Amino acid sequence: MISTLASLTFRAMLNRRRTLLLGLLGGVIVVVAVVYRLSASADAEALDFTGRLLANFGVAVLLPLVAVIVGTAALGSELDDGTIVYLLAKPIPRPVIVFVKLAVAWLVSALLVSLPILLAGVIGSGGDPGLGIGYGLAALLGALEYTAVFLALSLVTSRALVIGLAYVVVWEGVVAGLFAGTRIVSIRQHALAVADALTGESGAASELDLRTGLLVGGIVTIAAIVLAVRRLSTVELRGETG
Amino acid sequence: MSTLSLTGVSRWYGNVVAVNDVTFEVGPGITGLLGPNGAGKTTLLHMMAGFLAPSAGEVRLDATHTWRHPEVYRQIGFVPEREAVYSFLTGRQFVLASARLSGVADAEAAAGRAIDMVELRDAADRAIGGYSKGMRQRAKVAAALVHDPPTLILDEPFNGMDPRQRLSMMGLLRAMAADGRTILFSSHILEEVERLSDRVLVVVAGRLAASGDFRRIRRLMTDRPHRFTLRSSDDRRLARELLAAPEVEAIELRDGMLSVRTGDYGALTRSVAPAAQRAGVSLLELRPADESLESVFSYLVRR
Repeated sequence: MISTLASLTFRAMLNRRRTLLLGLLGGVIVVVAVVYRLSASADAEALDFTGRLLANFGVAVLLPLVAVIVGTAALGSELDDGTIVYLLAKPIPRPVIVFVKLAVAWLVSALLVSLPILLAGVIGSGGDPGLGIGYGLAALLGALEYTAVFLALSLVTSRALVIGLAYVVVWEGVVAGLFAGTRIVSIRQHALAVADALTGESGAASELDLRTGLLVGGIVTIAAIVLAVRRLSTVELRGETG
Repeated sequence: MSTLSLTGVSRWYGNVVAVNDVTFEVGPGITGLLGPNGAGKTTLLHMMAGFLAPSAGEVRLDATHTWRHPEVYRQIGFVPEREAVYSFLTGRQFVLASARLSGVADAEAAAGRAIDMVELRDAADRAIGGYSKGMRQRAKVAAALVHDPPTLILDEPFNGMDPRQRLSMMGLLRAMAADGRTILFSSHILEEVERLSDRVLVVVAGRLAASGDFRRIRRLMTDRPHRFTLRSSDDRRLARELLAAPEVEAIELRDGMLSVRTGDYGALTRSVAPAAQRAGVSLLELRPADESLESVFSYLVRR
C-alpha cells in the first residue's frame, strides 16, 4: 500500500515538466562552481566564492524554489485536478497519505537540491567534501521543513504556490533582511544556521545559532505535519456539479 | 448485503442550501438517483461516499458513519463524475494501484478480473491519457470494483460511453446487483434510469421529490411529450420522411439539428433508423433531450 502510494506520487512528480526544469536549475549551480574553479587564481578565493554560492544561490534560491514547487504539488496537484478522490476513496489512514507524500516530496527535493549542492561544494573547494556535505545536509533539513510547510499550505489554500513564493521572496528575501527579529521564523535561516555550524560560517552567516535553528525548525515541521494530517482528514470533495 | 441510510440530511454552503432534510435508505439492487443538473445529486452522492460532511443529519453505511471513517472504503466502490485520472498510468496500472491501495490480497489477479469485467483488456496496457471518454469511464469503474465491494456508488457512469458500451455497463451493473450488491448511480437522463433501475430517487432543488418504482412515476407523466435531437447527413430529407410517422407530433430544424417531439418514446426509437434508410441519409446522432425534467418533477412535487 505504502510503496504503491509512493510510486504513484513519484511518477506524478517526474511526469511534470517543471520538475525536470528544476533539475536543470540544480545543474546551474554545479556549472557555476566548475567555471569559477577553473578561472579562480587562488584556492582561498574559490573556497570563499563557493561558500557564498552555496549559501546565496543553493540555500537561498534553489532550495526554496524546488521545495515550494515540489511541496505544493505533492498533494495539491491531485486536489486541483480531482484525482485525490482515488486516494481518499481507499481505506488508507490519512496520516499515512501525508507521511508518504511528504517523504516523496522530501526525497525529490533532496535529489534536486542537496545533490547539486554537494557536487558544487566538492568541485568549488577543489575536492574537499566538507563544504559540500555541510551545505548538502543543511539543505536536506531545510527541504524537510520547507516541503512540510508547503504541503500543509496546499491543503489550506488552492493558491499555495503563489503564497509560498511570496513567503520566500517577501518574507525571507526582504523582511528577514530588514528586521533581524523576524529571522527566527525564516526557514532559510534555520537551514543556514545548520550550514554555519557544519562549515564554520563560510559564506552563510545566519543570525541564528544551531540550537535555535534546529528547535524552531523542528517545531515548525511537526506543526506543519499535524496541520496537514488534520486538513486531509477533513478535506471535502464537492464534485463539479450540484 | 449492505444498506446506505440517510437520516434528516442537509448540506449547505454558506447561505445556499444544496441538500435539504433528506431521508431515505438504499438497499441491495440498483437504485437510480435522478434529477436535473444542480439539483444536489453530486452533493448527495459525495455525502454518501464520505467525501462531504453533512451540515445536519447522519449518513451511514450499515452501522458506520461514512464521513471521516476511511475504513468504510473496504465496503464502498466509488466512481466519480470528474474525468481526471492519472493520465501517465496505463489502464492496468491504474486498476492495479487501486487494488493495492484497497489492500486486495492478490491484486494482480483482481485487476485482471476487473479489467475483463469492463471489457478493457485490449486497451489495458495503453496510457489512460490517450483513452477516449468511454474508455476512461470503464477504467474508473474497474478501479472502483476491483476490491469487490458490496456497495457501488457511481456518479453519471454512462457519460461519454457509446451505446454498445452503455449496454455492456448496464449488463455488468445488473449482474452485480443480482449478486446482492447495493448499487446507486446518478443520471440526468430519464431513459438511462428507466432501463436500469428497480428503484429511483428523484431530487429537485435539494429535496427528495419522489422515490419508488420508476415505471410508476413515469406512467404519471404520459401527458408529457418526449423530445429527441437528431443529426444526420441531410436533416431536411430525414425530417420529411419522419413526418410521415404517426408517432411524430412535431419536428423543428434548429441549430443545425432536428428536434423531434413524440408521444410514444418506443415507437419513435424504432422508426428513426428505417426512416433514415428510406430517405437515404446517414444518421449521425440520436439523443433523448429531456430538458423538461425539472418542470416535470416540480409538477410531480406539486401534486
